[in-house]
Amino acid sequence: MPRLDPVALARLGSLPLKARVIVEGALSGLHRARLHGSSVEFAEHKEYSPGDELRHVDWRAFAKLDRYFVKQYEQESQLTVYLVLDGSGSMRFAGSGLSKVEYAGLCLAALAYLVVQQQDKVGLYVFGAPGGDIVVPPRARTSHLADVLGVIDRATAGAAGEDDSPAAALDRIGELARRKRALVVLASDLFDPDDRTLASLRRLRAQKHDVAVLHVLAPEERTFPFEGLTLFEALESDHRLLANPAAIRKDYLERMDAFLARVVEEMTSAGVDYHLCLTDRAVEDTLLELLATRQRTMAGGARR
Amino acid sequence: MSFLAPLLLVGLAGLLVPVAIHLIGRRRARVVRFAALDFLIATKRRTARRFQLRERLLLVVRVLLCVALPLALAKPFTSCESKGPLIARGPQAAVLVIDDSFSAGYRLDGRTLLGRATDEAARLLTLLGPEAEVAVVRASEGAVHPTELSREHLRLRDQLARMSPSARPADLDRALARAAQLLAGSSHTRRTIYLLSPLTRGALRGGEPPWGEDGPRLEILDVREGAALPNLAVVRLSVEPDPGAGSRGIAALAEIANHSPLPAPGVTVSLRIAGQIIARGQLDLAPGETKRKRFLATLPPGRRSAEIAVELTADALPADDRRHAMAQLRDEIRVLLVDGDPHAARHDDELFYVEAALRPGDRAETGTAVTTITPDDLDEVEIDQHDVVVLANVAALPAEDVQRLTAWVKAGGGLLVAPGDRVDPAAYERTMLPLLPQSLRDPIDTAWGAAPDERASRALHLTKWEADHPIFAPFARDAPGLAEASFTKIVLLGPTTDTDDRKVLARFTNGAAALVEARKGDGRLLLFASTLDRDWNDLPIHPGFLPLIQESVRHLARRRVEGATASLVVGQGTSLPTLDMRKLEVRGPERTGAVFEGARIEGRRAVRFTGTDAPGVYRVVGTDRTGATRDRDELAFAVNLDPRGSDLSAAPADLLPGSGNDGAGPSRSSERRVELWHAIAAALLVLLLIESLLIQRAR
Repeated sequence: MPRLDPVALARLGSLPLKARVIVEGALSGLHRARLHGSSVEFAEHKEYSPGDELRHVDWRAFAKLDRYFVKQYEQESQLTVYLVLDGSGSMRFAGSGLSKVEYAGLCLAALAYLVVQQQDKVGLYVFGAPGGDIVVPPRARTSHLADVLGVIDRATAGAAGEDDSPAAALDRIGELARRKRALVVLASDLFDPDDRTLASLRRLRAQKHDVAVLHVLAPEERTFPFEGLTLFEALESDHRLLANPAAIRKDYLERMDAFLARVVEEMTSAGVDYHLCLTDRAVEDTLLELLATRQRTMAGGARR
Repeated sequence: MSFLAPLLLVGLAGLLVPVAIHLIGRRRARVVRFAALDFLIATKRRTARRFQLRERLLLVVRVLLCVALPLALAKPFTSCESKGPLIARGPQAAVLVIDDSFSAGYRLDGRTLLGRATDEAARLLTLLGPEAEVAVVRASEGAVHPTELSREHLRLRDQLARMSPSARPADLDRALARAAQLLAGSSHTRRTIYLLSPLTRGALRGGEPPWGEDGPRLEILDVREGAALPNLAVVRLSVEPDPGAGSRGIAALAEIANHSPLPAPGVTVSLRIAGQIIARGQLDLAPGETKRKRFLATLPPGRRSAEIAVELTADALPADDRRHAMAQLRDEIRVLLVDGDPHAARHDDELFYVEAALRPGDRAETGTAVTTITPDDLDEVEIDQHDVVVLANVAALPAEDVQRLTAWVKAGGGLLVAPGDRVDPAAYERTMLPLLPQSLRDPIDTAWGAAPDERASRALHLTKWEADHPIFAPFARDAPGLAEASFTKIVLLGPTTDTDDRKVLARFTNGAAALVEARKGDGRLLLFASTLDRDWNDLPIHPGFLPLIQESVRHLARRRVEGATASLVVGQGTSLPTLDMRKLEVRGPERTGAVFEGARIEGRRAVRFTGTDAPGVYRVVGTDRTGATRDRDELAFAVNLDPRGSDLSAAPADLLPGSGNDGAGPSRSSERRVELWHAIAAALLVLLLIESLLIQRAR
């Protein structure tokens, strides 16, 4: 099946459409919920009112309190997925194709579509956006998908925010998810100014969450193809740098390689599902790789 | 700074070009908004500074290039003050007069004055240019001068490079006159004499230059550059035998001069005999003072002569810190006494007092070897083996003896004749005249017929003696030891004979000649007008008798040693007696010397040696008729520097040549144009090279 060029995909129109194209064109039937239909889970007590099912009355509570309470159960979905989108300034770098934030947005939108289609819950956390972090709580309703995609659409189209670390967002996810196991998907370039991201990822893993990282980079950042006298301008600050790219290419690439190697090593050691995503790569390939890895992980987990 | 082509400075506007290129280049830089700027900054932190530095350096280099090019084309020049005269290149005639006297060997700031002069002369040659006709004239006394001007500057430079200080003082007047002669023959209108000299007082005589108003221009370059040249020198050295220090004793008298405006305390003076330092002394010399230092020493055993040198600790001019002399112990004077009135009673003998005077106490070291004979033995004696013959009261000799004695005197012998009762003036008139400076007349007896108490008052006394004559040198001005002697009988003297330089050395109180000297050939004659014993006078018992006889004998024998210990200055010739040698070889210091043989010596009694070009002792080796060769120490002589050259004080302005004219004196500084475009062009090339390197590194 031919892959969709991310640039061509970007021209398709609204984000829900793009997500649908991606999912229904390439990924249909691939998603498998890990805990599909296995049980219900107590959510809270509610004072009995006429019409409630008698089988849900908590007789033990009646014995203690002499009042009727009805157990309310929250039907557990197959999966709760938290999508974390890096909306910081560095993600606005476009290079010759999509900007990194657009690419990340597409990936996360497709995932949200997929998750909701499977009736799983999906939440969204956008950090580094100009107006502050945006949190969309996880829901499984189809109408919820529109909210998620709307937020992604606004985050990717809006102005660049300040450079921010994903750490705070990840920590906040940890709080939101409480003890419910969830899948956290972080899409970021990991240009973390304070190096706290890894610690946050480790904490999430310690809380039994599954964590996947889509490390989004532009091909230009990977190969540094610039020639001739170039004035480099920072996306998040006023830094400017006039340089001859040829003279610094070697050093830059060495530093970038070292950075990637360090990230891979740290992610692997933390048990994080890591995926390097260059923005010229087909989104569905990226998602397929993510899902395939997930399947392998689940299969491994089931064996265990 | 000025410019020969200032219009070309318009090109300086070109410096805007690199600035514009630089700015445009910056503006044209591609702008990339880049996320991973931190990586770049980390990378660039090291290279960015280098890049920016290189960019700015490139800008500076290019601006300088754009400035340097029009600057070089505009031919900038500046004028600077330079020492010495203003010299224009081109066709001209010039003579470089260089003071190469021994005083030019003075070391000032590590370089000799001559070195400074030749360096300056080489610089002048360059400035004069290849079209100039130039001659180099050495200003030392007796230097050989060139005969024409030359354009062979290489040869002149070679001549300058090989120039070394001579051993003679400067004769600037002669050198300037020669320079003027050389220039007079030139067809050039620009004629200049450059005098390069320390301009010492002794080198200049003052006055106008030796040419007229239409003569050449004179430029004087003071190579001392106004510096004071303090100098210590041994300016005089005499050596004479000193019997008081033993038979080989000598006394060396040196004069040390401090030609300096500063005092010289503790100057060490050393006496060197035959190469060994024998004695040292110290002197304190005030500014400009000359002091004498007397050394007493003895010659090494077995030596009758030796080389003597008095020297100072070397100063900036070492050449005059040493002076040489030849010490000659006087050979024994062989005296032949002819006793005309021998007597068995010793004190009545005619020569009793003379013998006693010549050998007082019969000491062996009197310096005389006395042989006494009677007139009859005269034909058996080899007169040639004697230096002095004394005829005391000898009756007129046979003609053949007189002839033999006359020949001996002419060859250099010394003859003392004293009358007595045995002398018959008439007989002397017949045969003895060749041996007399004057003929004899009858003796007079001043006390004849006088009562015994009157005899003393009638006696004659010696008076009016030649106090400066060597014979009377030991006596004080009034000489009581001579003046008190009474003469009761004297012989009067008649007409002069065939002799030279007759001179009355002393007279009696009655005006009659008492002692007459004359020269005959190479020999000397002395005629005493009274007896040598107490028959006619009581002189022998007066203290003056002994020195009178000794000095008379030495004076008569002096010709033999005359000149042997003479001290010459460099360049001064000397006459050497051939001593009937077949060959004479003079061996001087620094390979100087000469050989006299064959026609140069045959039949001559003396030869003249003029090759005294270096200070030191000149030894003479003689080869006699038998072929035997030996050192003739008696002919050795010392040659020293002319002490006039040791005074290095600056000549006063009125002594400088042409000091009466305007602008005379040492050339002062002058404005000189210095073209700068060569340097700028060189800088241009260097800048181009730097730019190429910077561009290469930027790629």
